[in-house]
Amino acid sequence: MGESRNQLLLAGAALLLAIIIIGAAFFILGDRGEEGATATETGAREGAEAGETPAEEVETLVIGAPLSLSGKYAKEGEMSLMGALAVVNWINDQGGIKVGGKTYKLEFIFYDDESNPDRVVSLVEKLIAEDNVNFLLAPYSSGLTAKAAPIAEKYGAIMLSHGGASDKIFTQGYEFIVQILTPASRYFVSVLDMVKAIDPEAKTVAIVYKESEFARTVAEGAKSYAESLGFEVVYFKSYPADAQDLTPVLQPLKDINPDVLIGGGHFADGQLLARQLYELGIKPKLIGLLVAPAIPDFYDNLGEAAEGIVYPSQWEPKVKYSPDNVPEGYEWYGPTVEEFIQYFKEVARERGKGDIMPSYHAADAGAAILFLAKAIEKAGSLDPEKVREAMNDLALYTFYGKLKIDPETGLQVGHDMVVGQWQNGKKVIVWPREASEADPLYPLPGYSG
Amino acid sequence: MTVIDWFALRTSLKRAAPALALYTILLILYFAVPGKSQLIAQILFYAVLGQAFNIFMGMTGYVDFGYVAFLAAGAYGFSIAILLLSGVGGGWMFIPLGLLIAAIIAASLAGLVGAIALRLRGAYFAIATIGVNEGLRYLVEGLNILGGSIGLYIVKDMKELVGREGYQLAATTLADMLMFLLAGVAVLTTSLILSTRMGFALQAIREDEDAARALGINVTKYKIAAFMISGVLGGALGALNWALKGGVVEPAQVFLILYTVEAIVIVMLGGAGTLLGPIFGALIYIGLNFTSNVYIAPVLESAGIKATGLHLIILAPILLAVIIAAPQGLVGAIRSRAPSRLREIVV
Repeated sequence: MGESRNQLLLAGAALLLAIIIIGAAFFILGDRGEEGATATETGAREGAEAGETPAEEVETLVIGAPLSLSGKYAKEGEMSLMGALAVVNWINDQGGIKVGGKTYKLEFIFYDDESNPDRVVSLVEKLIAEDNVNFLLAPYSSGLTAKAAPIAEKYGAIMLSHGGASDKIFTQGYEFIVQILTPASRYFVSVLDMVKAIDPEAKTVAIVYKESEFARTVAEGAKSYAESLGFEVVYFKSYPADAQDLTPVLQPLKDINPDVLIGGGHFADGQLLARQLYELGIKPKLIGLLVAPAIPDFYDNLGEAAEGIVYPSQWEPKVKYSPDNVPEGYEWYGPTVEEFIQYFKEVARERGKGDIMPSYHAADAGAAILFLAKAIEKAGSLDPEKVREAMNDLALYTFYGKLKIDPETGLQVGHDMVVGQWQNGKKVIVWPREASEADPLYPLPGYSG
Repeated sequence: MTVIDWFALRTSLKRAAPALALYTILLILYFAVPGKSQLIAQILFYAVLGQAFNIFMGMTGYVDFGYVAFLAAGAYGFSIAILLLSGVGGGWMFIPLGLLIAAIIAASLAGLVGAIALRLRGAYFAIATIGVNEGLRYLVEGLNILGGSIGLYIVKDMKELVGREGYQLAATTLADMLMFLLAGVAVLTTSLILSTRMGFALQAIREDEDAARALGINVTKYKIAAFMISGVLGGALGALNWALKGGVVEPAQVFLILYTVEAIVIVMLGGAGTLLGPIFGALIYIGLNFTSNVYIAPVLESAGIKATGLHLIILAPILLAVIIAAPQGLVGAIRSRAPSRLREIVV
């Protein structure tokens, strides 16, 4: 009897706790709802007053984002957050942005979406409807961005995709979703351009890629771009996501002997691919792989087999983009590469991450803030329609390189991937010329012709 | 058996009433609380997920670790309907047709898998169903069918069918309303099963399958029937929440085993085999999650305490306490201890 009484008590306590939690949630939410309403009212009133007195008044412009701070994208999400905060701090230190005679400081609000597509929708709604966020950064990854898109569109909020390289979202007829990073289909554009520029003799391309959403989009995009440049794609094969041995896929390449081999997927498979190419003695003039070579472990694990391998990257801390080499038709905006790194490191220290360098995820998110801020200034208004229209004419050159979108779809068309290469055990940037720190090592050491 | 068993119908309606009332409250909150409609919709998704999952697990005691495959089947079925209609036209027909194809595919999958895997028991059944889920995923990705690893993007096609405004409505309010409707259907189905011969048979199977068989109950028939009903409801849920509402069906998400685990947690928390259980389970699970991520974590964070994943730390002991102290879940515990008056309401 005593035992069952205890059990009853425990169950009762658990239930009580649950009720308190839910009750608290709804209590807070009810409160917030009212706050939100008054905030809009004051906003409207201030707007009316501003018409009469355009004096120096500092207001706050709120940018919000659901970010993956836990779950499988936790690392990338944290990087994105710190990159965005770095640029927000930089803009605020410059005095904020000027919109139609008023000065706005930026504020960045974020919630953890647990890398879970089903969490994103309610967070986006909360940011827009309750926190009165003016503009959104998308969550990390294409999958999560796709889930956030319908709700953002419903509320007519502009959302900048900084971590979703998929092209597909931008063929769906969304008006307010804008891409910042180079889409997957254009990942190998810079690598192929580089080959075309330094070796007109190269004719044949082989593509070997991991069967995954991202790698396949990259491979298909690379294929059509290679063909448009006049290359012949002689081999196009994928391997399963968890393959432990790629020999069956690679063996035929010994006879085909392509000039260029590109492909890969993520870290583990990319490393396996590089090792097995080396072991099988397959030596094209150039090997370009996704993701894996960008990570320092790649060389530590492979040694000589990694030498000369190139990789496309959205951004590297050593890029040479600067106000001194602005391409024609573009205008410089934002921190220099050094300033960005400095602001980033400050944010990282504040968040207890220690002394770390920004990854390209951080740069993607930082660039998104810059693109948005400039578009708002150009539009001279916070109205999403006007800001979106201003984005169409924007051609920015930043620490992240070029930024320009396709007016119709919002797809990124300006930003170039940089090409990195392992040379004597060091990663160096070899392309595009304005970003590079060394000449490409070409053909690969050991290439026999 | 008579054509319509009025007694069973009346009993089941009485049983369904409290759960239907709770869903009605959620529906009112959906429209009444500004800026929280999507939180309610998320609670609703998990409640229906638990409800549909519960029909099989709660009543038979079998744990289907590959349950999410039904949601995937439904999401793909719905997308197939849209792709079929795309270019042909048909406007709003895509929703009923999509749900029909989703139900057919989910039912066929359940029938096929059930006929084979339901011959296994306990852990063997659980493992076989994981295999089905992973196998289907590799089938889609490996054979490169249905968009392969990239998945299907159907927003553009829906916009072509019903226009931009029509799509806005379909993917937001309409999708959520259909999910409320599905919740009602799931509740009524469950209560109807509980009030008929099938419910008694399933309970007998759960308590002792061999004894049930010895009593002359066709255990295979009832198990497969429950499996298929559970699968069809799951399929409809996947179609509504991922295809219609999300607009993207990608294998990496729709075959994610996490959803099955979440369904199990919600059912265990609320009470397996009960009608109200999954609703309470979902309220606690998502309520805790949202409160922690949105209200507590940012406050702690500004105080210098990193609090990502806080809800999991809170949830774990609650789940443990429930499993130890009230193995039938919160609703089950209340029912078995409540005075008889209340017992009739809490089902």
